[in-house]
Amino acid sequence: MIVGGGISGLFTAYFLANRVDPEKILLVERSYIGSGSTLRCATGIRASFTTEEHIVLMKRSIEYWLELSRELGFYLRRGGYVWLLQEEHLDAFKEYSQLHNRFGVPTRIVDREFVAELVPSINQDMFAAALHDPLAMQADPFEVIHTLTRFLKSTGVKIQEFTEVTKLVLDHERKNVEAVVTNKGEIPAENIVVAAGTGTKNLLKSVGVDAPLEPLPKHILITMRYRRLFDPLLIDWASNSYIVQSRYGGFIVGAELAENTSGEAINRIDYMPHAVRIWSKFFKWFPKVYILRYWTGYYVMTPDHHPVYGPVEGVDGVYIAAGFSGHGFMLGPVTGYVTSRWVIDGDPGIAQAKNLMLARFTMGRLIREKAVIG
Amino acid sequence: MPRDRRIWKHPIIDFKRGRKVRFFFEGKVVEAYEGETVAAALYAIGIDVLTWSPKLRRPRGPFCMIGKCSSCLMKINGVPNVRTCIEPVSEGLVVERQREIPPIPETSENRQVHVEELDVDLVIVGGGPAGLIAAMEACKRGLDVVLIDESPRIGGQLVKQTHKFFGSHEWFSGHRGFEIAELLSKKLASFKNLRILTRTTAYGIFKDNVVGAACFGSTPGNYTIRFRTCIISTGASENYLVFPGNDLPGVIGAGGAQTLMNVFGVRPGERALVVGAGNVGLIVSYQLLQAGVKVLAVVELMDEIGGWFVHAAKIRRYGIPILTRHTVKEAWGCERVEGATVVAVDEKYEPISGSERDYEVDALLLAVGLTPDNRLLAQAGAKMVWLPSAGGFVPLRTVFQETTLRNIFVAGDSSGIEEATTAMVEGAIAAITAVESVRGISKEDEKYRKRLLKFLWGEYRASPVVRRAAEAKKKALIDPEKLEEVVRG
Repeated sequence: MIVGGGISGLFTAYFLANRVDPEKILLVERSYIGSGSTLRCATGIRASFTTEEHIVLMKRSIEYWLELSRELGFYLRRGGYVWLLQEEHLDAFKEYSQLHNRFGVPTRIVDREFVAELVPSINQDMFAAALHDPLAMQADPFEVIHTLTRFLKSTGVKIQEFTEVTKLVLDHERKNVEAVVTNKGEIPAENIVVAAGTGTKNLLKSVGVDAPLEPLPKHILITMRYRRLFDPLLIDWASNSYIVQSRYGGFIVGAELAENTSGEAINRIDYMPHAVRIWSKFFKWFPKVYILRYWTGYYVMTPDHHPVYGPVEGVDGVYIAAGFSGHGFMLGPVTGYVTSRWVIDGDPGIAQAKNLMLARFTMGRLIREKAVIG
Repeated sequence: MPRDRRIWKHPIIDFKRGRKVRFFFEGKVVEAYEGETVAAALYAIGIDVLTWSPKLRRPRGPFCMIGKCSSCLMKINGVPNVRTCIEPVSEGLVVERQREIPPIPETSENRQVHVEELDVDLVIVGGGPAGLIAAMEACKRGLDVVLIDESPRIGGQLVKQTHKFFGSHEWFSGHRGFEIAELLSKKLASFKNLRILTRTTAYGIFKDNVVGAACFGSTPGNYTIRFRTCIISTGASENYLVFPGNDLPGVIGAGGAQTLMNVFGVRPGERALVVGAGNVGLIVSYQLLQAGVKVLAVVELMDEIGGWFVHAAKIRRYGIPILTRHTVKEAWGCERVEGATVVAVDEKYEPISGSERDYEVDALLLAVGLTPDNRLLAQAGAKMVWLPSAGGFVPLRTVFQETTLRNIFVAGDSSGIEEATTAMVEGAIAAITAVESVRGISKEDEKYRKRLLKFLWGEYRASPVVRRAAEAKKKALIDPEKLEEVVRG
């Protein structure tokens, strides 16, 4: 059983269905498919991170993205990422780039003219140089979710929406999980993958497992559709903000606002001017575009900004795929891969994933990711 | 230009057209009358296609005429995607059609936007019957009120209602809708504690009780309105029907057609077919006749006519057939409806092949229901409930119209589809409760509110036709026991 019908749960179902009888897989979602973080996300996919774990897993994820886009037939654009940097960021980013290169991600530091060729209307006075990640891409979460769901159903995987799991149930020895309680009754299950985003922490608590997962409110907007101006996703590292022109032409903008973890994500009147101010410095046309929608969501943060993967010590049959700290969409395919391997083979198949198990927090083996954006 | 669709003689309405203005339409100078909107003015002179869909390049004409759909988006003074149905004409305006996804506007200067922060007791979004009555009741009791409306003038859909209201004398029985709008507008103009922002869109309800609102057009503004109480009376949007050709210019919402002919005095076409025999379908058919349009038939899917007998009898007297258990199979035409095929349906509402009948018409009016427009409430996080009998998602509310969000109220069609009298009574109840929240309630007001509730849930909606709506809305009440208490006790 998979709890959570977001990108992680769906890809886990996909990889499981390749190996076991799809009719023995049930995915439950408390609302509609994708309604948690997936359909609210910024659509970017990249491997330019600052730790070996993230880089290796993301590079594999990108390979899966390409493969699955061909196999299932959904849109994927290799627009790349451009990290706009100030003088004082350069040394750190030169190091990051070397780390990327070491694991086969061909980023490099580029000058302003290079950026101006990719993004013709950009104001070159606003940044000193940039890090270019040509491997990065954008997908369309709506299409991906829709395509995956349809495909999974066709294989026989059962998908049950509007079914909220309220707790996990252990057997009488309190060692193995044997069922879940939902708003539609109890459902027995041998293995349970908890990929429930903001709901994960409470579900684990119901079997006495404490996971350091804290939802952090985030803000994002999209403008009306305009003719394509540039392909890459741009990051202004100084303001921790990004902009990308979507598949359909709207500019998606995320920018950091000070928020408390575990606070409620509520639309704030100060978000839009804040986001507009940042990107108006880079684009003199930006004040002329119309904002179409502004919505909120959560990054489910962990103390080291890496996901929590794999089985849980002491509770057999429970697997976690959560705490993506803002990277759940891009990690989707590799999350599905390692989780399915853990469930079937007892091993994730990618060594670095083992470093991301829940036990790392109690053992003090944290891995610090510095490049969290938005 | 092909022809003038303006109505110059009408049995009920005296169209008070303003002075002539001239504007540019794709390089040509065209004439219009002050008070018209761009879409109405272009349609009046025979421009059917206002825009093309960006991907498949399908022609689009006016549909809702009240700023709720995207069928009339054009480029005005270089700004793309302007809703031209609510954009007033003015001298020298430059209007162009869009054929694709627009580039970033090339307007040379960044226009100065007026920025203002307001702090009020009550903000009302939507100046239709519910909003206007709410404003009046709140202003009378001394609240500081801001009323926001997207249209160039307030009145909501009252401005296109030419039939006489019945019901209660207190609620304008015997008056026509547009007369009520004029009456209320005049009354409101006398309040010093009311500010009306027209052509202004409330774009969101934000943390800490703030409404954001943007004024469009030649005097753009951005308002941050901090409120103690808020009433959402944003009305409804017209439903679509799925059939091939349903997006052709000339396929118009029945309400959109009413706006064209009753507000702007523009005939929606020469020969029309009306889909839906509810009250709106029947009333619009009669109004089409008044506007000099030939109505070939009214098509109704159900076994029975949904609207009131008096309306049905009226249009039958004019020899217009009402075809029950029929539906539209398709519409055809090149850049404009030229005809439609109607087909009978069996008891399962499946088309019966061989029963097709073609009608040569240039207008196909859809009167197939409304959907409450309560996007602001959903965005703000009010709990919604799915009630098909009320038109779709509607917010849960107390008997005093307060939603699950403290001090945010709902009134009128946005709380569930009904008609204008209910909207007005709901607006009054919401306003008095808003007053109660800001400064407490007087004995007289408490009595008055009780009387309104009794009227709304008892006497007024006693007839079986409106009873249905009341029963639907009962399901959206948070505290139905309270209703029993108020109405019976």
